[in-house]
Amino acid sequence: MAEILINVVIAFLAGSLLLGLHRKIMARVQKRPGPPIIQHLLHSLKFFFKETAFPKTVSMPFYIGIVFILAAIWVVGVIVGPVTHNSLLILFGVYAVYKIVEHNSGSSSGSPYGKASCVRAVLSAATELPLFAAIVLVYLKTGSMNIGNIISYQVNNGPLAFSIPLAAIMFFLLLLSKSPYSPFGITKDKALISGFETEHFGFLRGFIMFSESISWYVMLWVFLTIFFGPLTVVGYVIGMIVITFITGFINAVTPILNPNHSVMSQITMGAVCFVGTILMILI
Amino acid sequence: MLDYLIYLLTFVIGSILGLLYSYKLHGEPYVADGSLNIKMCIISIVGWILALNSVNIILGGIGFLLAGFVMGERPGYGRKETAIGLAIAILIYLNIALNVM
Repeated sequence: MAEILINVVIAFLAGSLLLGLHRKIMARVQKRPGPPIIQHLLHSLKFFFKETAFPKTVSMPFYIGIVFILAAIWVVGVIVGPVTHNSLLILFGVYAVYKIVEHNSGSSSGSPYGKASCVRAVLSAATELPLFAAIVLVYLKTGSMNIGNIISYQVNNGPLAFSIPLAAIMFFLLLLSKSPYSPFGITKDKALISGFETEHFGFLRGFIMFSESISWYVMLWVFLTIFFGPLTVVGYVIGMIVITFITGFINAVTPILNPNHSVMSQITMGAVCFVGTILMILI
Repeated sequence: MLDYLIYLLTFVIGSILGLLYSYKLHGEPYVADGSLNIKMCIISIVGWILALNSVNIILGGIGFLLAGFVMGERPGYGRKETAIGLAIAILIYLNIALNVM
C-alpha cells in the first residue's frame, strides 16, 4: 500500500514538473519567457483551495463522479505500470476509460463547449487504434502482454525500439496526441475554451489536473519501458525530459488540426506503421 | 522509491522558495537578466553537485533543495547559474562513473 502511495505521489510531482517543462519549452520556442517550471504544480494545488461552483445545468451526481473516476483510472495506471509491471491490456483499458471520461465529463456539464468537446472525444478515440496496434505488435514480437516479461525479453534481445521502430512511432503518436496543445488535441481546442474541463471549477479542476499529471508520467513510463528496455532512474529521467522536449517543440510550431484531419492523419500514420512493422517481422 | 520521493519533494520546495525569494528581490516587469549572480551560482553548483553525486539521502535532499532554489527563480533569472551548476555536476558525475569503470 505504501509503495502505491509513494508511486502515485511521485507520478503526480514528476508529471506536474514535466508538464511545466513542456509549457516552458513551448514558450521559449515561441520567444516568450513562459511561466516557471513549477507553475503547473502550483496551479494544480491552487485549484484545491479555490471556491467550487456548480452550474445549474450540470447532471448530478455524474458531473462530480466522473472526476473521481478520472483520478481513479490513472491511479490504476500507476499500479499496473510502475508498481506491479502488469498487463499492457489493463493499460489499454485505462486509456479506453479515459476517453469515456472525456466524453462524459463534457456531456454532464451542460455547457455547449463541453458538449462539443464530448462529441470530439468520440472522434479522438481514433488515437486508440495506433495504441492497440502498437500493443498487438509488441505481443507478436515478444509473445507476451506482461510488462515484466517484455522487460525480460529486452534484456535478452535488446530494446524493441530498434527491432520494431514503427510500432514505437505509433506509440509516440499517442503521446503526442495526449500532450498539451497538441495538433491532435481536438477535445481541448481553444475554440472550445477548455473543452470538457470548461465547467469544472475548484477542487474538481484540481482533481482533473492531478489526473493529467499522473497520466503524462504513466504514459511516458510505459513508452520508455516497453520500447527502451530496462532503464535506470537516470535513464527514465533523461528519457522523460527528452520526450517532453520533442513534444513541446512539435506542439509549439504546429497549429491544431481540424477534427477530421486529426483523425485521418492518426489513422493513416497508424496503418502505415502497422503494415510496415508486420512486413519487418515477416521479412 | 522513498528516496526519489524525498528528492522530488525537496526540489519542489526549493523551487517554491526560490520563486518567492526571487519575486521579493525583483518586482519589476520581465527583463532577461544577462548578468551572472555569483552567490546564486555558488548555491547552484553546490546544489547540483550534491544532488547528482551524493549517495546519502539527506545530502542529496539538501542538494535538490538548493538546485531547485536557483532553478525555480522567476523567469529570466537563474538560467545561467543553473546551466553552470548542472554542467559542473554532470562533469563530476561522469568523471566518477568513468573512474569506477
